Amino acid sequence: MEKVTIIIDGREVEGIKDQSVLDVARENGIPIPALCYHPEVSTSGGSCRVCLVEAHQNERMRLVTSCNYPVRAGLEIRTDTDLVRRIRKGVLELLLARVPDSEVIRDMARDYGVGEPRFFKDEGEDNRYKCIACGLCTLVCEEVVGVCAISMLNRSREKAPGTPYHKASNACIGCGACVYVCPTSAISMKDEGDTRTIWGKQFTMIRCSVCGNPYIPDAQVDWIVKTTGKDKAFFEKCPDHR
Amino acid sequence: MDVDIKKVNEIISRYDQSEESLLAILQDFQREFHYVPEEGMKRLSDVLYVPESKIYAMGTFYKTLSLEPRGKHTVKVCMGTACHLKGAGQILEAIERELGVKRNHTTVDKRYTIESVNCVGACAMAPVVVVNENYYGHMRPSKIMDVLNKYK
Ligand code: SF4
Ligand code: FES
Repeated sequence: MEKVTIIIDGREVEGIKDQSVLDVARENGIPIPALCYHPEVSTSGGSCRVCLVEAHQNERMRLVTSCNYPVRAGLEIRTDTDLVRRIRKGVLELLLARVPDSEVIRDMARDYGVGEPRFFKDEGEDNRYKCIACGLCTLVCEEVVGVCAISMLNRSREKAPGTPYHKASNACIGCGACVYVCPTSAISMKDEGDTRTIWGKQFTMIRCSVCGNPYIPDAQVDWIVKTTGKDKAFFEKCPDHR
Repeated sequence: MDVDIKKVNEIISRYDQSEESLLAILQDFQREFHYVPEEGMKRLSDVLYVPESKIYAMGTFYKTLSLEPRGKHTVKVCMGTACHLKGAGQILEAIERELGVKRNHTTVDKRYTIESVNCVGACAMAPVVVVNENYYGHMRPSKIMDVLNKYK
């Protein structure tokens, strides 16, 4: 691993060659807003554009998405210039027009002084209402969970994640990873008693033998046992009582 | 919908059993069945080891692929610039109203599939409606049903 030194907002910081600018900034406590990127998902990022920064290199400046821009020696990053703020404000205005109901986007937009968007407001349905179509849920499901139960369906304004034929999916294990990573809380998951409902499918939850709380869908346990060979008995207790 | 699974298998066997063949196979489904049937996508997923969600997503992405069974006749309403200015929108609305069907869908009796398309290259005749392979120019909302009724 080759270490490189770069400058972020006038500060010299160290990173590893090809690490993303955003990761290096976060390690050094320099805030950059980001929505569609998750460090555990290698294919994520590059979609929402709110993480834009100025990248100065070889006497040239470019606006780049920090979540997937690799650090190299001699790179200088500025995260909070007038230009960055102005462009990011435009990005947020567009996002707000797409998902006027998302609290996350509304708050961010307000911080950047966006009022009513000048653009056509999208009055979508269901999960489209808060979904910015970044695709992070589908990437987690494929890359981390490994079942690929959901994909981004349709195009342009209709683009949104979903299961095949919009029916309960055979592949989904009900783990909720997609809900967990969604930056705008656009995916609905309901846990009621022993039942979890997600993507139109119901799962039976297993209860912890110590505290009695339902904590994991049986389909997820089956999947973990099948793919890792772990002993099923391990899942009789929840993480707090193991 | 009954889909001949033998035909599905025959189409799949025409190609390399790899992910790259996906789109070509879906296009052949479309040509054979006039839509991409669920059974076909399921079988394809099993044979090529590609997650069903990816195949379905591909089906929703390309406009030339239809996921619903198609009607006997295809009615294309041109929405190109010239037709648009000449009132293609009203024609489309008239069709939707008369047949009780939304654009890019098929009537319940499976007689017509209605599509809005972008420029069929006959702007001089605007507004244009194309039924199957036949072009009808200078269309008006009041005339459209006379044309469609010719197609049983
Ligand atoms: S809950 Fe289903 S769709 Fe969501 S990440 Fe888990 S397996 Fe994938
Ligand atoms: S976080 Fe970088 S583009 Fe979304």
